[in-house]
Amino acid sequence: MTFHVLALALLIAGLMPNTARPQILPEEWTTYQERFVAEDGRVVDDGNGGISHSEGQGYGLLLAVLAGDRPGFERIWSFTQRELMLRDDGLAAWKWDPATTPHIMDANNASDGDILIAYALAQADALWSEDGFGESARQIAQALARTSVFEHHGEMLLRPGVAGFAAGERPDGPVVNPSYWVFEAFPVLETLAPETDWQAVARSGRKIASAGFGDRRLPPDWLSMAAKPMPAEGFPAEFGYNALRIPLYLMRAHDPDMELLKRMRDGMTGPSGGVARVDLDAGRVIEELTDPGYRIIPALASCILDRQPLADDLTRFTPTNYYPSTLHLLSLSFARKERPECL
Amino acid sequence: MPVIRAWVIAAGTGGLLALLAAAGGAQFQNRWMGDVLPASDDGKGARAAPAPAVQVPSPGNRAAPLLAQAGPETGSPAPAAPPQVEESALRYFAQQGDKQRLEREIARLRALYPNWTPPADPLAAPANIDERLEAIWRLYSEGKLAEARQAIARRQTDEPNWQPPADLLDRLALAEARERLLNASQIGQYGTVINVASGNPQLLTCSEVDVLWRVAEAFVRTDREARAQDTYRYILSNCDNPQERLATMQNAARLLSPPLVNELLALERPGETGTEEAGTGEFASVRDDLARNAVARGGSDAAITVAEDQLARVEKLAREKGSASDARLLGWYDIGRERFRQAEEWFSMAREREDTADTAQGLALALSARHAYAEAEATLYRWRGETDETRATYLATVANLLGVEPRVKLSGEVLQRIVAEVAAARDVPVARQLGWYARAWEQHQTARQWFETALRWNPDDEPSAYGLALTRHLLGDAAGLAEIKRRWAGRSDRIRQVGTGATEAAPAPGVDTPSAAPRPVASETSAAPLPRKAMPRSTPRTVASGRRNCPAHIHPETLSPQAALERGWCLMDANRPLEAAQAFEIALRAPAERVRRDASYGQSLAYLRSGLVDDAAVAAARAPQNGQRAAELQTAILAERALGAFERGRYTEALIALEQRAQLAPERIDLMVLRGYAYLKMRRFEDARRVFEAAAGTGSRDGLRGLADLRAAMGSP
Repeated sequence: MTFHVLALALLIAGLMPNTARPQILPEEWTTYQERFVAEDGRVVDDGNGGISHSEGQGYGLLLAVLAGDRPGFERIWSFTQRELMLRDDGLAAWKWDPATTPHIMDANNASDGDILIAYALAQADALWSEDGFGESARQIAQALARTSVFEHHGEMLLRPGVAGFAAGERPDGPVVNPSYWVFEAFPVLETLAPETDWQAVARSGRKIASAGFGDRRLPPDWLSMAAKPMPAEGFPAEFGYNALRIPLYLMRAHDPDMELLKRMRDGMTGPSGGVARVDLDAGRVIEELTDPGYRIIPALASCILDRQPLADDLTRFTPTNYYPSTLHLLSLSFARKERPECL
Repeated sequence: MPVIRAWVIAAGTGGLLALLAAAGGAQFQNRWMGDVLPASDDGKGARAAPAPAVQVPSPGNRAAPLLAQAGPETGSPAPAAPPQVEESALRYFAQQGDKQRLEREIARLRALYPNWTPPADPLAAPANIDERLEAIWRLYSEGKLAEARQAIARRQTDEPNWQPPADLLDRLALAEARERLLNASQIGQYGTVINVASGNPQLLTCSEVDVLWRVAEAFVRTDREARAQDTYRYILSNCDNPQERLATMQNAARLLSPPLVNELLALERPGETGTEEAGTGEFASVRDDLARNAVARGGSDAAITVAEDQLARVEKLAREKGSASDARLLGWYDIGRERFRQAEEWFSMAREREDTADTAQGLALALSARHAYAEAEATLYRWRGETDETRATYLATVANLLGVEPRVKLSGEVLQRIVAEVAAARDVPVARQLGWYARAWEQHQTARQWFETALRWNPDDEPSAYGLALTRHLLGDAAGLAEIKRRWAGRSDRIRQVGTGATEAAPAPGVDTPSAAPRPVASETSAAPLPRKAMPRSTPRTVASGRRNCPAHIHPETLSPQAALERGWCLMDANRPLEAAQAFEIALRAPAERVRRDASYGQSLAYLRSGLVDDAAVAAARAPQNGQRAAELQTAILAERALGAFERGRYTEALIALEQRAQLAPERIDLMVLRGYAYLKMRRFEDARRVFEAAAGTGSRDGLRGLADLRAAMGSP
């Protein structure tokens, strides 16, 4: 019952996927699955030793919904439930390694994975009227609310993992990961776990995302909030693989702050037009990423900011590695639904 | 079936389901059980079974499980007619000849549908086969749960009116729940284990004993021992597979506290022999191991009491089963309680079966307790390098072996290996003992080397320095002696007092072993007085003046103490000791300490000359003497004692007195011969030979005569 209300809410919010026009094309989804989703529903991060993680499962579930593929969703969810949704607090263990016994050697969670899974489940319930999915989504959302949302110096922050990032657990704690804020999911989480002020969490996330460091004024992958926000110790102080998702999430959530989007678009564009991984301390570009799955992100921003359509090589999806291919499909699905003029 | 039916009924009266409900994982409890108490909620357990009084899910307390895709949940409530049980999976298992999975699947179906009876011939194919459905069953039977889910969803997409069979969904959900529970158990997420079990009571049956074990463990790890015990009790009361029953009991014994374990042991069924005797029940091996553990704990802590029956059980095992480790357990148990004789028996038994370092160590300790050091050394030699402990015990044993009195004559082989070990370990106490040992056998050069070695390893070892001082003195190495004295000036009185007469001191017997009582340390530490070469019968060089002035017929009582003293010496010169003693008695009343001292000394000498040894001893003690005189008196007294004891036939006393005297003064040849005769009388022929040979070596005729007497004595039986 509650979830049909949810479906309505999603429709109103305009986030409801439209089954008549899947945002991901069948052939795209098929090739993605062939490359990155095993028969048993495990999403394989082939850029990372073939491990699986809650982020990958979350993305897989989300893409399945966007592709309108319930059987595929069921397959991925089956693995996720049995192998990752094991924690006593109701969150997912973050990492599954085929090479170890047991496969989970570190039972900590990764909150972006939990957010993505809950978000995808809620979408799936709305799309296919499956109460069970909605119930599962609610449990995860409430678990997140209980364990991973906390107030700090007036901001509502998200723990990257239940263990290891809090103020008492490291000298520069609390440490957050700005790219774990999946902005489009917060309105959904609001309906799933209404006792928590997810809007406030979203606002804090935007503030964090706009923390700019170095000449390019970009946010770091990992941020210490102990005092004045600073790149966290023990991690390279870089705008890297984590943070480059932030502009994509902002766009997918229809974030209105064009100044921020422009700053990030400019900052993440390398001298040769690739996506720059930036050393924020030294202020230099470490590497330019050329995979279309990465390049499509600043390209989308340019489309929004400057009405520049996407180049052909970006509108065609060819799977490369799990991570950029995932970002590629998320970007394409957004463009198809919200910005068809970009394509 | 009785099992499952009983359980289903029990659910209404607080059975296993109630147990789990009451246990309640934290946040999910309400979600699983709603607000309905388990006693009246047959809930998910009877969801698809035609059991009576099924709770119809209402919006307020819908308890949808996390394992979502429960078709029946959104479908109708419990059907009135028996459901169609899909037997396709049975066919696959039967076709593949997989008996085990076939039986398991039948058990699961019975759990879900108590009214169902399995088909007589699982291989018989029904009339209409739904190929696509068969394919899904095949996936299920192969454990490809995700693909099965996908296939179901695909078919539903393709055929919107198609409903997957209820029991397919049930069994899929059950299989998924089982895997999730196992995975959670593997990474210690015990809350999840209990939650999944609560939500899937069909998992809690005799065909899923592994699940039950994990649930029990989850209870233990979350401090709910009683619930764990209930779980084990359920298995032992209801399940029949003997291996699983035994493994259940083993799990329980490992995880639960002893009183709870004992209660479960009472559920033991008779073993294969079929007798009711407790020892041969199915859990005999568990009881054995529990008893062993108790004895082992008792072995490492002497304060722990071990139950009599457990002790007796292990003793019986040790005797009958022939395992070395059981005997060892008992040995250590006895060692801890200082029952060395029993410990020796156990360790000997263990050693016969299997010689190990641990056994050898225990046996060596037990043997040392009754001073059987040679045996202990031989036992432990092989294992000396095994651990730090065995090495330490070995060296302590060797020290005792060397130091024990009477000295043990060690074979060349044993000595060699001792020497090798000492050299390797650079063990100062044993090196020192080797010095004393060599000295006892008159091997003074060897003794010197050993004392020097010990000092090289530890320049601050005073006893070794003392031994070396004595030895250098004996060997006439005045420069060497002076050097030691200089190095130890101010640090050792007795070294300082090693003087111009060679003083021998017998070494201290008995270094402490870990558990043996320490032997009394004889006078290695007592001050060795300045030597007096003079025989006690000769007059001392005291300072009395006018000694020759001693006319007879003067009553000493009329004299002043000083005068009496002088008269006493005079009388001693005149060889009238008893009168001298009387005169000295008067002198002992002198106020001046010096006079009293001389008087005591004089009186003691007087009594000695009179042959009144005990009186001499008393006199000597009446005033403190300086070291030189005290030694002189003592040596004289002891020589007299030795003589007296020998004459009365008390040879051990004689030897002791001689030994004590030898610590103070060099052994006179005549006393050496006396010693030899004492050994001879005690039939210690080797010792007698050694001593007579040493005496004869100095040219003593008495020594030669002694050797002759020895030969004669050895010739006779």
